[in-house]
Amino acid sequence: MSTTTPPARHRALTWLFLAPTVLGVAVFTVVPIVGSVILSFFHWDVIDPPTSAGSANYRELATDTSILTAFGNTLLFMVFAVTLQLATALVLALALQGRMPRWIQQALRSAFFFPLVLSAASISVVMKYLFNQDFGVVNWVLGQFGASPVPWLTSEGWAMAAVVLVYVWQQFGFSFLLFVGGLANIPRELHEAAAMDGATGLRKHLRITLPLLSPTLLVASVVGVINALQVFEQPYVLTDGGPGDATRTAVMVLYQTAFEQLRFGEASAIGVVLFALILTVTALQFRLSRRFVHYQ
Amino acid sequence: MTLTAPSRRTVLRAGGYSLTAAGLGATAASWDRLSASDIPGRDGSMLTVAVLGSAIDPSQQSVLVEDFQRLHPDIRVRLLAVQATDWNDFFSKILTQIAAGSAPDVVYVATEGVQLFAKRLGVALDAWVRRDADELREYFADVHPSLVESMMYEGSLYQLPVEFNAANMYLSGKVLRRTHAELPPADWTRDDFTALLRDMKRTGGRGFTPFFWTNRLWGGVVPWLFANGTNVLTESKAPGGDWLWNRFYPEKQRRGRGGGYRWGAPQALDGRVEEVYDYLASLVHDGLCSRPEGGSGTNLIGAFSTGRVGVTPAGGFWAGGLHEAGVERDAYDAQFFPRWRTRRHQYGAAGYAVLRTSERQDEAWEFVKYAVRRDVMTRLFQKNQTTPARRSMLTARRYAATGPAHWDIFYDTLDRFPASGPIPAPPQVAAVDLALTKHTATALGSAGSVKPALRALQRDLERAMERDT
Repeated sequence: MSTTTPPARHRALTWLFLAPTVLGVAVFTVVPIVGSVILSFFHWDVIDPPTSAGSANYRELATDTSILTAFGNTLLFMVFAVTLQLATALVLALALQGRMPRWIQQALRSAFFFPLVLSAASISVVMKYLFNQDFGVVNWVLGQFGASPVPWLTSEGWAMAAVVLVYVWQQFGFSFLLFVGGLANIPRELHEAAAMDGATGLRKHLRITLPLLSPTLLVASVVGVINALQVFEQPYVLTDGGPGDATRTAVMVLYQTAFEQLRFGEASAIGVVLFALILTVTALQFRLSRRFVHYQ
Repeated sequence: MTLTAPSRRTVLRAGGYSLTAAGLGATAASWDRLSASDIPGRDGSMLTVAVLGSAIDPSQQSVLVEDFQRLHPDIRVRLLAVQATDWNDFFSKILTQIAAGSAPDVVYVATEGVQLFAKRLGVALDAWVRRDADELREYFADVHPSLVESMMYEGSLYQLPVEFNAANMYLSGKVLRRTHAELPPADWTRDDFTALLRDMKRTGGRGFTPFFWTNRLWGGVVPWLFANGTNVLTESKAPGGDWLWNRFYPEKQRRGRGGGYRWGAPQALDGRVEEVYDYLASLVHDGLCSRPEGGSGTNLIGAFSTGRVGVTPAGGFWAGGLHEAGVERDAYDAQFFPRWRTRRHQYGAAGYAVLRTSERQDEAWEFVKYAVRRDVMTRLFQKNQTTPARRSMLTARRYAATGPAHWDIFYDTLDRFPASGPIPAPPQVAAVDLALTKHTATALGSAGSVKPALRALQRDLERAMERDT
């Protein structure tokens, strides 16, 4: 194949078409990121001009137990939420492949996807009512079966579980759609051949479905991890980070440091560390994918 | 490619499309629409007043805008109703606006933010108050000095109180009847309170919470600290303020007054603080009150009005809230906070602050003065959504429709217990609030947690107070 240099007029046209996107990304993404990194080396309270802080904001971050706890919570949340989200989505996507009327399939697909289009804050407000220990519907229903009220939002262990549940309920629709698409692309003949060779349901899924679905699993897990590490609305509305610091996440502590306590330099440092964390985890996922992801 | 002349039909169609587009464009252009000058603070010709969205009834906002402009045709006012869940959220939004270079001229500030605004953003009103002393004499005569003192910082006055709310107790009539109990007397004690909760619990049945409270700076654990004669921060008064007290208040009322509150070293490890937490922990343990994270104003009205909650701390603002929710005036009543070691109550007040960055400070002062006029406040607070700072406005007629029967306790809290104090809100209020609510939740979350939680609270408060703001 021979390569030819496009005429100058075409190159100019290419840049002209790219310009809006490049400008948008530069102004609204690159500049704020660079700005945050610079601001993380300053003290700034909005009211007075910034003053140099050296590495003080990063040292503060390393010694503040609340911030460290928030990062720990975020990682814990990510592990539970992403695992549950992917597992739920995969199981439901596989179940929907079974024999059932087409209209039921379509209705269920819409139902599973629907929470994703709702506002996380509104959902969390409603869930806060439902999970209320004293007056919530969830405990009322449990009470009908003789169960004691569960402190969903008021005990350290249950609060994180409730936040994960609400988050997963809303988010799994995205992974579900990816899996439905991925499963549709797996040639039916492979399953038929495996069946003829005597493979059973679970074995078929482990040996054929999962390996062939692994590229989709990678995409779903990368997106899931990035979203989970930035979780904010659900814990903010449901528990306000409590009890104590039990459900305080990195983005919550960033928000509180910046907009409630006016320490924008320190908040920027938290943002930079979170950015680095997301980058590291994502890079790790791609590295591991070389061993576990199979492309047809 | 060859070009061919367009047909007559094509030309006519294009002309028709162009005319339609031009017509639509002209129609759209003639409509009122948002422009850059609509961004608060961008239109330099207007006085921008930021208020907490829920603080002023939308139907009454014209009182603050049109009626003011009728009096001052040369001052154009824009009222900016900021929607926020609480005062901290409101301040965050205002500060974000200031950071964005769109600072309002006047901001409605509650006790939580008085010192932060005074120290960093506000203008002292002293010179204007002195200048217009004759005009303001009637106002100060009508407003309790405690409220005025809570709006002072280091000897200067930063706001004229418009409203306040003291932490009183609301009791459900339905639950009292079910318990065969009367409204407690005004001098009830903490032990009477506990006994009442136990009685309520006995007859309440499943799903009933005798005492419901919200974990926050106002009305949470702090009123109990006040009642027990302690606080999470040491408390003193700044010198100064004589210029105001001597001018507006008689000798008896100005005794002991200073230049505003000073919040000092944290004292979360004080024995009396621990006593309060132990007491609340025992209530939680015995199922007599909601756990700190469970309390939320959002579902409280429904729970209270249906007899699923017996008692809850609230101020005059709740009379309006209950009435709006359809609760009959005789379905509840209010009483003072129970006595412990003292009868000291906690209160929070609010008023308008003028921002340093404003280029219209004289006009802003005219607005501040206008907002505390009796006729203006009467029209603004028709629904009892708060307790007016003017004593003369609290009348039987005002509470005839909404209740409670003992409406007089709202202002009597200040008159009968003049040592009552404001929310402990230093300029570092956000960090103090976060530490207090966080560690209160931990302290009362499980048995044996009080001591470690208070140690952590002390540590976080010390850290917060060391920071400048």
